[in-house]
Amino acid sequence: MRAPAESGVVRTAAWDPHDPRAAAQAAAGRRRQAWRIYGLFGTLLLAAIVGAPLVGSTPLDLRAVLDRTRPFADNLDAQIFFIARLPRVLAAGLVGATLAVAGVVMQALLRNPLATPFTLGVSSGSALGAMLALTFLPTWTGGALTSVPLASLAGALGAVAIVYALAQVRHRGFSTDVLLLAGVTLNAFFSALILLVQYLSDFTETMRTMRWLMGDLDVAGYRPLVIAMGLLLPAAVAFAWLPRSLNALALGAEQAGSRGVPVLGVQRLAFFAASLATGVAVSLAGPIGFVGIIVPHLVRLLVGADHRIVMPASALFGAAFLMACDALARLVLSPVELPVGVVTAVVGAPFFLWLLIRKT
Amino acid sequence: MLHGVSLDVARGGITGVLGPNGSGKTTLLRMLSGALRPTSGEVRLDGAPIESIPKRGLARRLAVVPQEIHPVFDYTVLDLALMGRYAHLGPFGFETALDLLAVRRALAATGTADLECRHFDTLSGGEKQRVVIASALAQFEEDTRDEGRLLVLDEPTAALDLHYQIEVAQLLRRLADDRGLTLLVTTHDLQFAWQVCDRVVLLQDGRVLADGPTEETLTPAHLHALYGVRVDRMTHPDGSVSLVPASLVGDRGRRAPTPVLAMHGARR
Amino acid sequence: MLLVFVGACRPREDARATAEAATAGPRVVSLVPAVTEMLFAVGAGPQVVGVSSYDKHPAEVATRPRVGALLDPDLERILSLKPDLVVTYGSQTALHEQLARANIATFTYRHGGIGDTLETFEAVATRVGRGDAGRAAAQVLRAQLTGIRMRVEGQPRPRTLLVFGREPGSIRHVWASGGVGFLHELLDVAGADNVFGDVARENIQATSELLLARAPEVIVELRAETRVAESPSPWLALPGVPAVRQGRVLALTGDQMVVPGPRLGQAAEALARALHPDAFAHQPK
Repeated sequence: MRAPAESGVVRTAAWDPHDPRAAAQAAAGRRRQAWRIYGLFGTLLLAAIVGAPLVGSTPLDLRAVLDRTRPFADNLDAQIFFIARLPRVLAAGLVGATLAVAGVVMQALLRNPLATPFTLGVSSGSALGAMLALTFLPTWTGGALTSVPLASLAGALGAVAIVYALAQVRHRGFSTDVLLLAGVTLNAFFSALILLVQYLSDFTETMRTMRWLMGDLDVAGYRPLVIAMGLLLPAAVAFAWLPRSLNALALGAEQAGSRGVPVLGVQRLAFFAASLATGVAVSLAGPIGFVGIIVPHLVRLLVGADHRIVMPASALFGAAFLMACDALARLVLSPVELPVGVVTAVVGAPFFLWLLIRKT
Repeated sequence: MLHGVSLDVARGGITGVLGPNGSGKTTLLRMLSGALRPTSGEVRLDGAPIESIPKRGLARRLAVVPQEIHPVFDYTVLDLALMGRYAHLGPFGFETALDLLAVRRALAATGTADLECRHFDTLSGGEKQRVVIASALAQFEEDTRDEGRLLVLDEPTAALDLHYQIEVAQLLRRLADDRGLTLLVTTHDLQFAWQVCDRVVLLQDGRVLADGPTEETLTPAHLHALYGVRVDRMTHPDGSVSLVPASLVGDRGRRAPTPVLAMHGARR
Repeated sequence: MLLVFVGACRPREDARATAEAATAGPRVVSLVPAVTEMLFAVGAGPQVVGVSSYDKHPAEVATRPRVGALLDPDLERILSLKPDLVVTYGSQTALHEQLARANIATFTYRHGGIGDTLETFEAVATRVGRGDAGRAAAQVLRAQLTGIRMRVEGQPRPRTLLVFGREPGSIRHVWASGGVGFLHELLDVAGADNVFGDVARENIQATSELLLARAPEVIVELRAETRVAESPSPWLALPGVPAVRQGRVLALTGDQMVVPGPRLGQAAEALARALHPDAFAHQPK
């Protein structure tokens, strides 16, 4: 077995691989690059935060909005800005960021680029909960929360529990295949139940549930936002811990394990954090589609695959994207509004198809 | 799948594991690397039960190179190699200069340094294999020779053409000889095993058929027992050895020439 | 087209009518609650042999077989009732074809404003052989509406938001009447201006921004059924809305508010009494 002449030769690179200074420069360069990307997407979000509250069905006089000399009760511009628009824009930001990050995590966890935050049945569980509340508990309220968001959150958590239990039964570890199949099946099952509930309910309720399924960000106040943020906090902490582990997980569970990743723990954490976050987002604004798949893919196209960059960038871009879509929803047929879920789908579906064709 | 297999791997050198499909090679590797727990018996690394070693500590001493790797996302070579530093950095933050240095050395050692900025998906099979080996090498603590560092490779040449097979073979030898790593390799390639391994373990139906220095284990008798195929061991005038399976499909000249599938002058 | 079709069916209806002398006139299945009410109002109740799943009024409908509704008409049950005429929605095209194949006449209901209701009233009455009664009933309804309009004449017309759907316990998913349809016209009859009168749609989702911008002086919530009062009122989230500030958020209950049938007069009066209690102060109800 004689070696071909050119084989086994260490090819020379432009830099000396053993030079610590070059390595330090490269490490610093990578870090700088990451911060540049955060800065870029942060600027985009900032532009959305400044721009989105300025558009709407009513023209606002910004000077009147910020006029502190007039009492708030008499200042219609300020009321529209602070009671109607700002909470709505913030809700769009919160929901957009959450769904985008949950999408990134689901895609990495399931090792499937087509996964969305809704793949594992969280949204249909949530929808079923909301539907049951709209149909059977129309008057019940539980303190700060009303029946519909509470029931949809309960439905989401129920779906999470069922999928997790199923993934455990078949496999002592955490089989992503079983997870995926269980999620898809559960989605179909819940959708059937939703249809059944709709079929049995009154016609006006059917219309209301249809509208709920299209997503709506008009939260009319800060309290739902504060509650949602409180519920999202544990998920956010988990998300901050995940990126490097998700990178390794992209190579496969066993490979990640041999690199020192506590695979089972990471998978559990990713699953519960993404599911909980999705459940909270859906209970706040309904199942707004496409954000969780377009944003991660677009961000990956722009910045590469490293989750330490993709996750924060997706959060920032997801927030900006949904704010923009919601502004569009308010503007197109003003004063009549388009459901924001329709806008994200109309913007998102063609893009996604393009992405699919491009990939193959 | 394994029935009472005992195996001691000494520090240094390359140990090859051979056996027919389903003989338990991969199971053996997965157990030795701690990915699979034996139902009975135990695996020890430097005297300590492998499941008692913290995962991150284990990853710094034992690295695994699978047959093939399919990252779901489009990582660059450097990103992928840097994943080998997980155990040195933990889940937070970015790599330090030290990590980058280790990874670049590993890339240089596998001859892939100039691929650093390429995307992994665009590499050829041989380049991919070497990048994954670099990523595994990056797991080890730099400049330590006193501790046993174990590199486990599952059929490293299975998907490679002859040229890359030889490159990888030479790389593995260098890692064992120059860097003092202990290598554990499964393979189906008799010639590769003969050339590369210091010691060969033959597995059959989950049991050890033979275990010892390569010259003593890769004998025609053992190989016939293992595969049911006659293998000729031929020594060439220059001292090199060829292991050649005897033909089982008959004389080439007597086969019917009628074509079933034909293509003429196709272009694309 | 329709006339030709109707004409072709006429002899069959007549034949059936003579055969079943006990119930004079054609046997009718109604899938539209508003038309069911009209049929009963013109004395054609005995001829109604089947009603929709959503029919509640008058009480006699409880004794009639249910044959589905807009989305799920049960053709087999409809056919088994041997109707001469089936009242359907315009969108039920598949049902129309099936009934045409079975040689059964259809009366297509058109949803719209008060004018459409009055026309439907006369037309459906004519189709069941009670044209005079239909014209009289429509006249009564017209007179009722005119009476209410005159009674609130001269009263200040508050800018009013007419809500017919809302997520319980919050002011999300508020659905209100736009500037088209019988609810909008009822509001006009009852002496109020619809805050969404300029929006050429039957309904509109009123976001919090629209609610603040349109600044309704009165909010009227229509409900089909009685509900437990929400406490505190979710409307307090928008203290800037004049109706909320002045405590003029009213709730009207009863399905006459959502069925554009013979009880439109009652609905208009309930609305007018809620909006202008002073105008009705002198006379007991």
